[in-house]
Amino acid sequence: MKKAIRTLLATSILAISVQAAAETKVGFIYVGPKSDYGYNYAQEQGRIYLEEHMDDVETVYFENIPENADVQRVMERMVRSGVEVVFPTSYGYLDHALKVAEKYPDVHFAHSGGLKTSDNLMTYFAEIDQAMYLAGVAAGLTTGTNQLGFIAAHPIPQVLRNINAFTRGAQSVNPEVTTSVIWTSSWSDPTREAEAAEALISGGADVLTGHVDSPINYVQVAERRGVYSVGYHADASQFAPKGWLVGAIWNWGPMMVNIVNSAKDGSWKSEHLRGDLLTEAAKLSDFGSAVSEEDQQTVLDRREAIMNEELQVWAGPVFGQDGKVIVKEGDTMTLEETEKMDFLVQGVQGRLK
Amino acid sequence: MEYFTTELLTLLFAALRSATPVLAVVLGEAMTQRSGVINLGVEGQMLLGAMTGFAVASVTGDPWLGVLAACFAGIALSMVHAILVLGCGANQIASGVAVLVLGSGLSAYYGTPFVGDKIDTLGNLNHTFVSDIPMLGQFLGPITPTVLITLLAIPAISIFLFRTRTGLRWRSTGESQDITRNLGHNPMHYQLAAIAFGGLMSGFAGAALAVDYTANWVEGMTAGRGLVAVGLVIVARWNPWYALPAALLFGASEALNLKLQSWGVNISPYLLATLPYMIPLSVLMLSYRGLRASGGGMPAGLRVVFQSAR
Repeated sequence: MKKAIRTLLATSILAISVQAAAETKVGFIYVGPKSDYGYNYAQEQGRIYLEEHMDDVETVYFENIPENADVQRVMERMVRSGVEVVFPTSYGYLDHALKVAEKYPDVHFAHSGGLKTSDNLMTYFAEIDQAMYLAGVAAGLTTGTNQLGFIAAHPIPQVLRNINAFTRGAQSVNPEVTTSVIWTSSWSDPTREAEAAEALISGGADVLTGHVDSPINYVQVAERRGVYSVGYHADASQFAPKGWLVGAIWNWGPMMVNIVNSAKDGSWKSEHLRGDLLTEAAKLSDFGSAVSEEDQQTVLDRREAIMNEELQVWAGPVFGQDGKVIVKEGDTMTLEETEKMDFLVQGVQGRLK
Repeated sequence: MEYFTTELLTLLFAALRSATPVLAVVLGEAMTQRSGVINLGVEGQMLLGAMTGFAVASVTGDPWLGVLAACFAGIALSMVHAILVLGCGANQIASGVAVLVLGSGLSAYYGTPFVGDKIDTLGNLNHTFVSDIPMLGQFLGPITPTVLITLLAIPAISIFLFRTRTGLRWRSTGESQDITRNLGHNPMHYQLAAIAFGGLMSGFAGAALAVDYTANWVEGMTAGRGLVAVGLVIVARWNPWYALPAALLFGASEALNLKLQSWGVNISPYLLATLPYMIPLSVLMLSYRGLRASGGGMPAGLRVVFQSAR
């Protein structure tokens, strides 16, 4: 019911097209509000970057489109109105996008985070878990109680990668560290996120991070309660002048420009395009004053090591929660394996399902 | 033992925090329904209140002005319900849903520019005498003003409803409009006031969420709590005193869901996430055995809403 209402509102009121000296029309579809200060906000920043950096591009966007047949109708409508490159930016849009892509072979589709392609559908994403690993290093160096708290929405691979990468980063400098996970079962429920933060802090955690739409809620509670915080999706340092350590943030703009250019000049490849720290599609935010110069240097050294591939976030040995070896020493998880991650690593407290 | 007591008190005060916005809506909606009008739009009024409160707090820099503006926003939107129901004789359920949709749409649209703003909070009781109370001080200190105001509203409302002449007429309107009319009063005046009061309380509840509790505005941030409150009115049997345990029940199950996870209890998070709905529902079913004939305190006027739904 609520979804139906939202869709109705989204399609009838919020479809806004932005005019420019138009040649190529590019369409964006967001699963939530573009103003969520999180995942959708980051994609929207990419769209704005596209508008600003390409003269001959016109963009349209739709927000609050659920991951069901509605999104197919939105895509069809976009295509019929002349959109040539479609960015379905949510994980659950993939199968719907594949169907529409088959129907319109001349239109290009770039899906965010999927693992399937077709002739005219490619996927793009960024290995933000590298940045989360580095944030984990900062957290591991800072924590006094050796307890970290993670507020997570849903147990999907992208979230598990971040929980595990954050924990492994922290363990790499502080083997005593454990991470407690609380699931909120929602991408956006500020009240529950704030209460989860309270529960983690009263349980002894002194560094909080999370993977929900917006980092603002848990970052503010952490600041109020005098503990540290690590942001995700977008920079929330202004909400925690004392306790902000660092954050893992997106930077989609340059990647989107490349994708649109490749569609225009015919160099389009049906591939899994993945950005990383090196291409700066996933970045580490600025450090807060709570991280000492020395610790900042440690994190930056690790970043250097990841960028020149001396350090792999998913190099074995990787242990599961029960202590069983998941990746043997000497092996490294492939991109496919990490993007299908379905386990929590040793040192994480919390149940998967 | 001390550990146990501390954890229990932590849970209790977490429950109170989570319960406050819901409690405010339950109190308002119970008063509305006492006059024989049901308003499902409280969720939308909460959202508009939350957005308006946050926006005003952000622009003026004064969170108290935000709370005030939120109350007015709640009243303003509830007037849409009043016009449709009292003015046009529209179906109350349909009108309530319309108000819900309107509130969520308006708040999403006008709230966009304020996302990511930072506002000052209303503060708390830390550094007052209560935070120096041994043992309890650490729990009483973080209590925020909206919690206190909502708790104080309970006796105020109940004195008004059960101890004043106006309260008596308010209740009689809900039982039978004819009685009020025969006494020489216009029942519509009472229903109008009742809808407005429901608007005030839901707008205030929105401010409790956005201005006080999270200091953040996010589209759809009430996440169904307004509708939960409408259901809890039945658990509370339309009585302001019972509203507290009913709302606490919801708050406690919400807090317990998160607390159990932080303790590392070996229960599926999916099951735990159903707690805030399962527990009040179970209590409702248990407490209503044998109450069916009396309707559990339901104002007789409300029955008409459901029976003659046009």
